[in-house]
Amino acid sequence: MPIASIRHRLTPMLLLPVLAGAGLAGCATQAAPINVKTPGFGDNATGVVQFWDRSTTSPFGQLLVNKFNATHKNLKVVLTPVQDTQYVTKLATAIRAGDAPDLVGIDDINSQLFIYHDAFADLTPLVNALPEKSKLSPGALNLTTENGRYYGVPYVADMSVLWYNKTLFRRAGLDPDKPPTSYAQILSDAKAITKLGHATYGFGFAGRCEGCLGFTILPDIWATGKNVLYGQPGHETAYIAGNVPLEQTLTLYRQLWAQGLSDPESQVETGTTWGKDFLAGKVGMMPLGYGPIASAPASIRSQLGMTLLPAPSGGATATFDGGANFGIPLGSKNPSGAWEFVKWALQQQQQSLAPAAGFEPIRSDVLTPQFEAKYPFAAAMLQGVSRGQAPKTIVYNIAFNQPGSPWLNMFTAAVFDGDIAGAIRAGQGAFSTAISLGKS
Amino acid sequence: MTQQTMRTAARGRWAESGTAGAARSRSGKRRPGVVRQPKTGMLFAAPAFIFVAVFAAFPLGFAVYMSLTNWPLIGSYHFTGVHNYSALGRDPGFIHSVLFTLLYTGIVTIPILVVGYGLAVLVRANRRGSVFLRTAFFLPYVIGLPTLSYIVLLELQPNSGAVNWVLAQLHITNGGTAWLVNTDLALAATCILVIWFASGLTMVLLLGAMNGISGDLYESADTLGASWWEKERYVTLPLVRPTIALSLIISIIGSFLAFNQFFILTQGGPGTSTFTVVMWIYQTAFVDLHVGAAAAMSIVLVAVVGLISFVQFLLLRNNT
Repeated sequence: MPIASIRHRLTPMLLLPVLAGAGLAGCATQAAPINVKTPGFGDNATGVVQFWDRSTTSPFGQLLVNKFNATHKNLKVVLTPVQDTQYVTKLATAIRAGDAPDLVGIDDINSQLFIYHDAFADLTPLVNALPEKSKLSPGALNLTTENGRYYGVPYVADMSVLWYNKTLFRRAGLDPDKPPTSYAQILSDAKAITKLGHATYGFGFAGRCEGCLGFTILPDIWATGKNVLYGQPGHETAYIAGNVPLEQTLTLYRQLWAQGLSDPESQVETGTTWGKDFLAGKVGMMPLGYGPIASAPASIRSQLGMTLLPAPSGGATATFDGGANFGIPLGSKNPSGAWEFVKWALQQQQQSLAPAAGFEPIRSDVLTPQFEAKYPFAAAMLQGVSRGQAPKTIVYNIAFNQPGSPWLNMFTAAVFDGDIAGAIRAGQGAFSTAISLGKS
Repeated sequence: MTQQTMRTAARGRWAESGTAGAARSRSGKRRPGVVRQPKTGMLFAAPAFIFVAVFAAFPLGFAVYMSLTNWPLIGSYHFTGVHNYSALGRDPGFIHSVLFTLLYTGIVTIPILVVGYGLAVLVRANRRGSVFLRTAFFLPYVIGLPTLSYIVLLELQPNSGAVNWVLAQLHITNGGTAWLVNTDLALAATCILVIWFASGLTMVLLLGAMNGISGDLYESADTLGASWWEKERYVTLPLVRPTIALSLIISIIGSFLAFNQFFILTQGGPGTSTFTVVMWIYQTAFVDLHVGAAAAMSIVLVAVVGLISFVQFLLLRNNT
């Protein structure tokens, strides 16, 4: 048979696998539900638990896993850290591929996305049976709830506050025991500190890190009682145009940048060296979590003070109730083992270790005099938990937490390009588009 | 058997299999002495067929099906017909990424060829050090684009990167240029990186073609008193034209599928100004979780790249 003829016979034959691919695509299935009411669920489990933790919280996760594995002979937990901006992508892909991990430590603001798509097991009876249920952080617990049922539990807290350098305050003639309580004070304090010269700046922020910016700026708006997103998960609307606190916030950051009061690194900081210049004593004020401070030398920590994030006009404060939640994906191969680890990780003894890794516990009864003496900053943050908020939405990842998100674009256009009105106008449309993309 | 007779015999066999073979299969009769059997041919083609079926045709069919559904990365899906395709024209992000990719391709293609050609001219003679230079020029390609992108990312940092340091030492800038937060500067920096990276491959391809040109031709040209430029223009260039076409196509397709360099250097920013088509597909599938829409974009991209390859084959056929 001539070559040409073989080719003419084989080419149509290649259509077969094309059609087979299309046919198989039509057979994708959902994972089966997990029955948590089986007697003995979460007790004396054996085998291995594959645990995916977001890379930010994984230092705490690893600390727990090491301790757990050292004391549990028959059950082992294996931790895989997953980069924060990739977490939703990787977990969704793994679930789609039918190869979900047994347990996830997911950014609490992304929990709703997976709960909404029925990807996590209903843990309601288990959560109700927890002895510490009433002591768990209500804000974080709320993010695991849908229609009154629990699809997860809080795992660890990561709150944002305004840190300031008391030494620089003193040198600039400011009272080191009086941190700013309004935007006007932040601006005047920043001016006083920048005047010190020698590459010292009043303020610092991570201008190319969308996650960092949401974490440290949204609380200012929440402190006024306003929000940027409204509506239940799956029914969100964006409130950008005409949002006065939002405009005030963008204006403050524009002033801090345009007047040269901010560390020049702020424009290019992607979050990888977040807080570096602040901890080097070159920046007077910086909104941050506890992580970078916890790992700083004691000589620097002793110079620092903190306060909750103020509303633009003062009079109120707030914090981002961030961190991570536990969830058991449908398709988990060892859900009983996963829950055994979760119960253990929620115990007071384990939770009190959180500040050692740069985080805050998610249960209120950890706050003992000993804890306060050992971790004064973490204790103070924990006391502010009632001022904490986190967006309960399925669109946070797409609207805020991605490179090129409407949130980052709006911030960039307003703060670095100086077009606040244009940024807000474009932002309203971009947020609405992102929300409809996230919902469909 | 002499070479001549072998060639005649071979030609005869091809002719027979081409015409008489077809007649035979219709009549069902076999002529004695003909070794070619349909099954043998199929057997030889089978490995390639299976490979293409499993790794190209099957996934393509899967993708076509997905492109006709809403296919979210998590959750259930349903048929949406050609909605994903008709929505492409209304997606400003997709259109912008296509235009940006075309702009980027337009900027880098000719410089990659010109620089690659120049480097090939520089290192084609067996002079002292030419082996070293060849290795040095090809090294960026061997290191790989992701690694180079990370190096460049560090070297472009304001006040600390080497690029800014050198520019400051030369008193061209103050050393504080934030390259990657400005669309034009970021595009310029990325294009320079890619030209540096990709011209090595063009050089190697052209070097092979140039070394394949018979020395006799240059000797004849010398006898005729041709200058260096005339030899380059009338001997080398026409003979390496097919290779130029090949390297152009490789670089154009490479630019069309650009991802690594922008993903690492700009993450598509500032805003979404430096999103390439493939990044937009990635974003749609894995961030927006709309795999169906992303599949539709991919199918369109496959068609465009297929068209480029088709044009390439036409060009090569005409030239040889």
